[in-house]
Amino acid sequence: MTVLLTFLIVGLATGSVYGLAGMGLVLTYKTSGVFNFAHGAVGAVGAYAFWEFRENTMHLPWPLAALAAIVVAGPILGLIIERVAGGLGAVSSSMKIVATVGMLLAIQGGLTIRYGGAARYFQAFLPTNSIRLAGVNVGTDQLVIIAFAALTAAGLAAFFRASRLGAEMRAVVDNEELMNLAGANPVRVRRAAWMIGCTFAALSGILLAPQLGLQPALLTLLVVQAFGGAAIGRFTSLPLTYVGGVVVGVAAAFATRYVPQFPKLAGVPASLPFIVLFVALLFFRESKVPDRIRGVRFSSALGATSAPVRVGGIVVASAALLLVPTFVGTRLPVYTNALVYGVLFMSLGFLVRTSGQTSLCHAGFAAVGAATFGHALDAGLPWPVALVAAAVVTGVVGTVLALPAIRLSGLYLALATFGFGVLLQKLAYTTFVMFGRDTINVHRPELASISLSSDRGYYYVVLFVAALSAVVVVGVQRSRLGRLLRAMADSPVALVTFGTSVQLIRILAFSVSAAVAGIAGALLGGLVGSVNGSTFDPFVSLLILAVLAIAGPGTIRSALAGAIGYAVVPAYINNPHLSDWLTVVFGASALVVALASGFTAGGRFGPRLAGAAERARARATRSPVAARRPQPTDVQVPA
Amino acid sequence: MNAAAGLDVDGVTVRFGGLVAVSGLTLHAPGGRLTGLIGPNGAGKTTTFNACSGLIRPAEGTIRFGDVDVTAAGAPQRARMGLGRTFQLMELFDSLTVRENVEMGCEAMQAGRGALRHLVSPRRERAEARGRAGEILEQCGLTDIAGSVVGALPTGTRRLVELGRALAGEFQVLLLDEPSSGLDAAETKRFGEILRDEVASRGTGILLVEHDMSLVADVCQYVYVLDFGELIFEGTMAEVVASPVVRDAYLGSELAEA
Repeated sequence: MTVLLTFLIVGLATGSVYGLAGMGLVLTYKTSGVFNFAHGAVGAVGAYAFWEFRENTMHLPWPLAALAAIVVAGPILGLIIERVAGGLGAVSSSMKIVATVGMLLAIQGGLTIRYGGAARYFQAFLPTNSIRLAGVNVGTDQLVIIAFAALTAAGLAAFFRASRLGAEMRAVVDNEELMNLAGANPVRVRRAAWMIGCTFAALSGILLAPQLGLQPALLTLLVVQAFGGAAIGRFTSLPLTYVGGVVVGVAAAFATRYVPQFPKLAGVPASLPFIVLFVALLFFRESKVPDRIRGVRFSSALGATSAPVRVGGIVVASAALLLVPTFVGTRLPVYTNALVYGVLFMSLGFLVRTSGQTSLCHAGFAAVGAATFGHALDAGLPWPVALVAAAVVTGVVGTVLALPAIRLSGLYLALATFGFGVLLQKLAYTTFVMFGRDTINVHRPELASISLSSDRGYYYVVLFVAALSAVVVVGVQRSRLGRLLRAMADSPVALVTFGTSVQLIRILAFSVSAAVAGIAGALLGGLVGSVNGSTFDPFVSLLILAVLAIAGPGTIRSALAGAIGYAVVPAYINNPHLSDWLTVVFGASALVVALASGFTAGGRFGPRLAGAAERARARATRSPVAARRPQPTDVQVPA
Repeated sequence: MNAAAGLDVDGVTVRFGGLVAVSGLTLHAPGGRLTGLIGPNGAGKTTTFNACSGLIRPAEGTIRFGDVDVTAAGAPQRARMGLGRTFQLMELFDSLTVRENVEMGCEAMQAGRGALRHLVSPRRERAEARGRAGEILEQCGLTDIAGSVVGALPTGTRRLVELGRALAGEFQVLLLDEPSSGLDAAETKRFGEILRDEVASRGTGILLVEHDMSLVADVCQYVYVLDFGELIFEGTMAEVVASPVVRDAYLGSELAEA
C-alpha cells in the first residue's frame, strides 16, 4: 500500500504537468481552431531557454531564469504563433495540420542544431530532499509541483470566472459562433489565449525537464502527453482536461510499478497517453459529417496538364528513371532509396489529396509492411507473394486504425495516427510481432537467369514495383472511389443524401494508402538487407508530410519531386548537421506553403470561392432566429 | 416501391436544446404530386427537410416512406430507398464540371447499392450514368456548359445543376429547398416547367420549400404553411391565399406580388 502511495505521488506530479500542458493545448485549439502540434515544441523552447538563462550563459538564479524563460516561450512565442494561426483561418484542415507540424519540425530541428540531439543533464531546481508522509518518503519537489500545478489551474479557473476577458474566452471555448455574434473582439481573445496556452506549455516543459532531461525530441513529444488529457476533456473542457492529464500521469506511474513483471509490456507506461486517446476517441459521440474541405486544400490529385504534356512528362520521366543506373555509378542505392520514398510519398499524397484526410503514421505503416515482408520471407513465401502480403496486412492495420476515428473530423484521425505511430514504435517495434530485439534479414528477389540481387538489379525491381504502385494509385483515382472522393472533398453532405456512405469511402481510401505505404516499407527492407525499428521513426511520418506539402501538385509528380528533395539532394551534400537543417527547412517551408495557401484563399480567386461567398451571403441575409438555428450543413449523420 | 408511394411525416417534433424548431408536424407528400411547404424564415422548413432526409433525428413522431418506417434510418439508407433532396445553401461538387456533377448524382446512388460498389464501377453502370446525365443535361438546358466547372457558375445555373443532379438520382420523392432563390424570372419559369415535366413523366413526388409565391402558385397542387415550427394551415394555393390565418402570419406583402 505504501509503495502504491509513492507511485501515486509520482503520478500526480507528472500528471499535473500533463494537465497544465493539456489545458494550454485545448485553450488555444478551441479559441483559434488550430490544433497546435508544436505545443510540446513550445514547452521544449521553454525548457531550453531556462537552461540557457540559468546554466549555460547567464547563470541567473533559477526563479529569475524561470521567469525569463516563461516570458520568452510563453507570451512572446504565443504572440508569434497567434499571428501564424490567424493566417490559417481560410486553409483546409489538412493544411492546418501541415502548418503546425511544420512548426514542430522547424523548432525541433533548430533546437537540435543549437544544442545537439543527445539528452543533456538538467539540474533540478526544486528541492530534491524527501519528507515522510503517511509512512513513505515523498519528494518535496513532487509535492511542490502538485501544489503549484493545482494552484495554476485554479488560477486559470478563477480568471475565467472573474474577468471579462476570461468570460469571453470561456464563451469562445463553449460556442465560437455565439461569441462572434455577441460582438466581442475575437483577435484580443485569441491573442490572450495563445499567450496563456504557450505559457502553460513552457511551464510544463520546465517542470518536466529535470525528470526527462533536456532533449529536443523527447520534450517535443510532450504534446502527445497533453493529447491524452485533452481527449478525456473531449478537446473542449478545461477542468476535465486537467483531470485527464492527472489520470494519464497516475496510470502511467502505476504501469511503471507493475510492468517490470512483464518485460513484453515495457513500452506501456510511455504509450499510455495514446491508449487513453484511442479509448477516448472510441467513446466520442461527436458524430459529424467529415469537414468539408474548406478553402484551399492540397493541390488536386489529377494534374491540370493537358494530355500531350502529361504523356510527354511520363515518357521523359520513364526514360530518366530507366537510365539512372547508367549515370550515377556507386550512388545507385541513393536512387533506389529515393524510389522507395517516392512510393511512400505517393501513398500519403493519394490520401491527403483525394480524401482530405491526414495521416501522421505513414512511417509506421511502412514499418508494418517491412516487418510483414520479413516474416513472410522467413516463412519461405516467394518474394512477390511476400510483397503482396505486406500490402494486405498493412492495409488491414490501416483500416482497423481508421475505424474509431473515421466518423470524427479529420483532425481526430490525424491525432489517432500520430498516437498510433508513436505507440507502434514504443510497443510493437521491439516485440517478436515486428522486429524483435534486433533486426529481420530481408533478401532481394531472384529470377532464374537474371541477377536481381545486385544494386543495379534491385533498382530495376524497385522501379518496376514503384511503377506498378503508381498505376494502381492512378487507377484508383480514376475509379469510382476516386470520383466519390473528389465529390466528397466538395460536399460530404450531398454525397450522403445520394446514398453513398462517406465513412466507407474514407476508410477505403485510408486502407489503399496504408497498403501502398506497406509496399514502400517492404522495398526498403530489401534495399538495406535487414529491417529494424530505427528506420521507421515516427518523426519521419511528420517529415514526409511536410515535404509532401511543398512538393507541388499531382500525386505522381509530387511523389517524384518529394523523393528527389528528401532522398537524392541530401546525399550530395556533405554536412554533419544536414538532417537537422533539412528538418528546419522542410518544416519552415511547409509552414510557409500552408500560410501562402491561406493567402490565395483570402484573395478573390478560385472557383470554390463563389460558392463560399454565396453561402456567406445567404447566412447574412437570414433573420436572427434563423441564424441561431443550426445550419443545414451542421447536421449529424447517424452512423 | 409502388407509384403511389410517398413521404409521410406524422407528429414530428425537432428540438435543438430548449428550442423547439418543429412541433408536432404532420404532412404528406405523395408520389405524382407537387406539394408546397411555405412559411417565414425560421419557420422550420429546412429543419423538416433535415429530419425527413435523416440528417437529424426528430425528438418525437414518425417518418414513413412508402410502407416503411424510416424514422431510425440513416441518410444514405433513405436516399437508397428513393428519397432525395437539395439544399437551400447549395451543396454542389464545386470542383467538378456540370456533367460530372450530374453523373455523380447517378453514380453515388449506384455506389450505395453495396460496400464494394464504392470501390469500382461495372462498365454497364458507368454507361448508364453517362446516358442518364446526357438526357438530364438536355432536359435542363445545360448541355452547352456541360464542361464548365460548377464553382465558377452563376447562382441561377448552379441551381439548375443541383436540380439536374437530384433528377439523376431517380428518386421517388424529392425535397427541394428554396430551389429558385437567386434565379431570375425566366430561369424560374423554366425551373417550374422542368418540375412539372418530371412529375408528369416519372410520377415523382416533389415537396417544395419556396419563397417565390408565384412559383408555388404555378406548380403546387397542395400547400402546407409553417410558422414557428407549427403547421398553421394546409390546402390548395387558392385556399392558402384566402386564409386569414396565413395572411396574418406571413403572406401579406409577398402575396401581393404574386
